[in-house]
Amino acid sequence: MTLCSRGHEAAFTELYDLTSQRIYGIILRVLRSPDHAAEVTQEVYVEVWRQSARYSRGKGSVIAWMTTMAHRRAVDRVRSVSSEMARDERYAVHSGDREIDQVWDGVEQRLDIERVRKGMASLTAIQREALTLAYFGGYTQSQVAQLLKLPLGTVKTRIRDGLIGLRDALGVEA
Amino acid sequence: MSEIHSAVGSYVVNALDPHELEEFEAHLAVCPTCSREVAEFGETAAELSLLASVPPPAALRGSILSAISEVRPLPPEPPTETSRAEPTTNETQTIAADIRHAVDELALRRQQRRARVLTVLVAAVVAAAVALGGVVYTLVQSRQAQVAQQAAETELLTAPDVRTYTATMKDGGQISFVVSRSLNRALFIGKDLPAVGSDRTYQLWTLEGQRPIPDNLVAGGGDRKEFFREGLGGVTSLAVSIEADGGAQQPTPSTIQTVTQLAS
Repeated sequence: MTLCSRGHEAAFTELYDLTSQRIYGIILRVLRSPDHAAEVTQEVYVEVWRQSARYSRGKGSVIAWMTTMAHRRAVDRVRSVSSEMARDERYAVHSGDREIDQVWDGVEQRLDIERVRKGMASLTAIQREALTLAYFGGYTQSQVAQLLKLPLGTVKTRIRDGLIGLRDALGVEA
Repeated sequence: MSEIHSAVGSYVVNALDPHELEEFEAHLAVCPTCSREVAEFGETAAELSLLASVPPPAALRGSILSAISEVRPLPPEPPTETSRAEPTTNETQTIAADIRHAVDELALRRQQRRARVLTVLVAAVVAAAVALGGVVYTLVQSRQAQVAQQAAETELLTAPDVRTYTATMKDGGQISFVVSRSLNRALFIGKDLPAVGSDRTYQLWTLEGQRPIPDNLVAGGGDRKEFFREGLGGVTSLAVSIEADGGAQQPTPSTIQTVTQLAS
């Protein structure tokens, strides 16, 4: 049985090259520690490799499958080590998406980023902040409620409304 | 809306604590609306992750590739009633095909939305053609040129030496040239191009030093993509002008919109 034949690994390498900026990027944004991020990124790709035969189109796009896995693992890591990491709670609110003016060679990606930025800009301030804290900050909805000094129920609906607004702005196909 | 239902957003962004998670997952199992939203928001969150993109440390690539060489992929899950019937070849081929499929899909997703819709359309047409034993064969053929264009774009965008040059044209249009010297090809991409009037057109040019060589025409208004006809042999710059319908042999100096110098 040649499960790890050359063909696979070449395809996997290509997959890595196409997706690693996003996967590493979201993990780093949540964890804010390059060492932890590299570790979790490696875990995610090994898991993608292990699960590759079990991915099916019915579960959504490949990138959604991968980013979901990456985000969940990053968040799990944050919650298990958050005390030792002593994360700066203001970071997520203020850093926003300033870091992204980086090395994007592909014009398609740049256009996509612009689209997402516009989508985020179309949300209300509270929707945007709640979504940003939860997604990029890796905070639970209760923590988001504390940070924004809002009732939990409000935060919950704002996160959902934010995703609805962004989904509609982006016209993402499920 | 019930209280529990509103947690669907928090669920997708992993913002539920263990107790809330358990409660929501119990609800999710019986709520088709929430299931659909989970799938949709999953795609939306994936797009959102673009904003955090950052290149990983170079060493990580080798580390991961060597790690997977020691890990054996799991076999596909045994088929359930809901899974589509797919021809089972041997395990190895299936895994290779899945990863390959994943790569292809990702490459395609990088293209314009319209192209994506077209991909789905083509896939549907091809599937129908197979199912009907060739009855719709001509319909497939009529799509082939567009499929070829997509394949060429994907090849260009993934070329090892691909470079992108962005420019703002004199008329305000935002454009990019995607260039690969190794493939000897260049692609023009215009986003929301201004309209130029029904009797005028954008024209692409390659320049060898000071010598312009007329290239393909691009209609104004909307999103446009057009490959350059000419190769990049001695080409030093790419340019765009606005010309009368049908194009010109020499660019009209006053209508030159941009001249972009290429790296050699």
